[in-house]
Amino acid sequence: MPAPNPSSVDSAAAPLVRVRGLTTVLSGQKVFDALDLDIERGKITAVMGPSGTGKTTLLKHITGQMHAAAGTVLVDGQDVARLPREGLYTLRERIGYLFQNSALLSDYDVFENVAFPLRQHTRLQEDLIRNVVLTKLQAVGLRGAARLMPSELSGGMARRVALARAIVFDPMLILYDEPFVGLDPIALNQVLKLIRTLNRELGITSVLVAHEFAAVREAADHVHLIANGKLVASGTPGELAKGDSPWTAQFFGGALEGPVPFQYPAPPLAPAFGFSGARS
Amino acid sequence: MNPRRSYAAGTGLFILLGFAALAYLATQTTSLVNFDSGPSYDVTAEFANIGGLKDRAPVKLAGVRIGTVKRITLDQRSMDARVTLAISDRYNQIPEDSYAKIMTSGLLGDQFISLSPGGSPKVLKSGSLIDNTQSALQIEDLIGKFMTGSGGSKAGSSGKK
Amino acid sequence: MKQLAVRLFDPLLDGLANIGRTGLFLLGLLTALPRGLTYPRELLRQLWFVGAKSLIIIMISGLFVGMVLSLQLYYTLSIFGGTSALGTVIALSLYRELGPVVTALLFAGRAGTAITAEVGLMRATDQLSAMEMMAVDPMAFVASPRFLAGVIAMPLLVAVFNLMGIFGGHLIGVTWLGIDNGTFWSNMTSNVGVWKDVINGEWKALVFGVFISLIAVYQGYTAPPTSEGVANATTRTVVSSSIAILALDFVMTAFLM
Repeated sequence: MPAPNPSSVDSAAAPLVRVRGLTTVLSGQKVFDALDLDIERGKITAVMGPSGTGKTTLLKHITGQMHAAAGTVLVDGQDVARLPREGLYTLRERIGYLFQNSALLSDYDVFENVAFPLRQHTRLQEDLIRNVVLTKLQAVGLRGAARLMPSELSGGMARRVALARAIVFDPMLILYDEPFVGLDPIALNQVLKLIRTLNRELGITSVLVAHEFAAVREAADHVHLIANGKLVASGTPGELAKGDSPWTAQFFGGALEGPVPFQYPAPPLAPAFGFSGARS
Repeated sequence: MNPRRSYAAGTGLFILLGFAALAYLATQTTSLVNFDSGPSYDVTAEFANIGGLKDRAPVKLAGVRIGTVKRITLDQRSMDARVTLAISDRYNQIPEDSYAKIMTSGLLGDQFISLSPGGSPKVLKSGSLIDNTQSALQIEDLIGKFMTGSGGSKAGSSGKK
Repeated sequence: MKQLAVRLFDPLLDGLANIGRTGLFLLGLLTALPRGLTYPRELLRQLWFVGAKSLIIIMISGLFVGMVLSLQLYYTLSIFGGTSALGTVIALSLYRELGPVVTALLFAGRAGTAITAEVGLMRATDQLSAMEMMAVDPMAFVASPRFLAGVIAMPLLVAVFNLMGIFGGHLIGVTWLGIDNGTFWSNMTSNVGVWKDVINGEWKALVFGVFISLIAVYQGYTAPPTSEGVANATTRTVVSSSIAILALDFVMTAFLM
């Protein structure tokens, strides 16, 4: 449904998201340090990394919810940070975002949640809205749950409803923030299958922030590994699983010690217990 | 009924109730009650002292409310208070020589003007002047009288003329 | 010495910063308000939640306040032999002071906390971010209707409270204590003014409504996204609103008299 954007015609081969020199400081801590990465069109790209590396922060940069200290984030050729409010909102209508906790509006039932973006941004007839919403709910297998309230849904169902809501405008890009967390194996497989289907059949570019390498391996075409604010490894899941670099060895090989230390940075142990006698 | 409509109905009821309450308070519990709706004619009366008489105080005859105090001014020549009474057109047979007196309802109550009918065949008309008046009873004067025992001196009932 | 100064001034600075942030939030809210008006359905829903659902507590409280007022004032007035002024004194106390203040305190406890908890929970469960992601401004869709509903509801609730108070006072004064019905009403009607008393109180109600709604929405909107954060924000709504109501009441009484 998004209008064809001239820039997307010009640069059909160019990456949909291009991050250059991104530097972000959050409450005094450097989250990203001159980060460069690309998200290819029409592919499923996974962004992985140890906890606290700012993977969600990266998604917020792509949607313009957060501004960088330095560097640029280009989405479909547009500099997100420079967009005025209307431009940003127009861009966001073309991006689907799946929140970790689904973030369904608790005041509305499933149907109205999925219909929400349509009601806000279009003046479609009621029966047309109904058709679109039921089609999307059918796609995630929850047409029968249309009149349930969010509080009556299980975690997996809520996430599928959120997914139906995210695709109601047939976006060019979907951002999945930890889509597998807290799901039982059955629900996880359902979500995994949906992510793949949406990408293969609708050609929606997908960005996946996740920890579960097994699931990522199933779904992703490409994996970016971020650590210490930089891109430390990048490639297909198969390439990364070989564990050529110390990062991939620790992250995918499961070694306890590696570039990510077990110990949180601390002063030497002996003085902390008062053994050195050097009191100040 | 669909839930959205029942919200709307409940909210509408709440708004109506709120405005109805406000309208009731404003019109039924305030001095707005004392505005006579019908047409009236103006009569003036002069008092040496009106005490605590206020605008819109009732004018009564035989205890029946027949009008309101419309305006209170000071006549600079005679140094008397000039009170304009708006009397309802319905009461158009009040004798011209009626007697106007400022009275208090209860010890601490409000002051109002009480008319006592005279015997003249002529009646009060718009612009008439009531000659016979008695000023407000001043509690201070009353106490003063008791203290000095000088009943009936000039401080007491200063009837005009 | 320096530490003492810091300890003394820190809470003061915190308080000032809070007032400043609330003020800035109000600016944001006011700019979003025209866009908020494009969601009349939300406004209606919120009027239902903060207004209509507060009616019962307001009506019962109004009735009892009027009844107590009647008993207390009858006793006091009978000392001076002025019980005929009972209606006047009840009406004036209610319209000018008790109606707006008691209603505002109840409103802060009943509706203010509900707004804070609801908005805080929406923040904590990412619903506000989700709206932003769906290109819907939560300031316009969530904050504005709730703020506006509070501002509209307060004067209406005060009118209902006053009405119930008068009925309660009449019930005790006339039916129970035996004051003459005509005296009760005529004394009241000749001493109570529309503008100087009824509308004067409604002004207070409007101002209280603005402050309570602002504080409630602000606290919810900025609550830390944890259960503890939302709980603290709810408490702060009650405390800040109550102080604001009583302080503003003094200021407004001093200037409106």
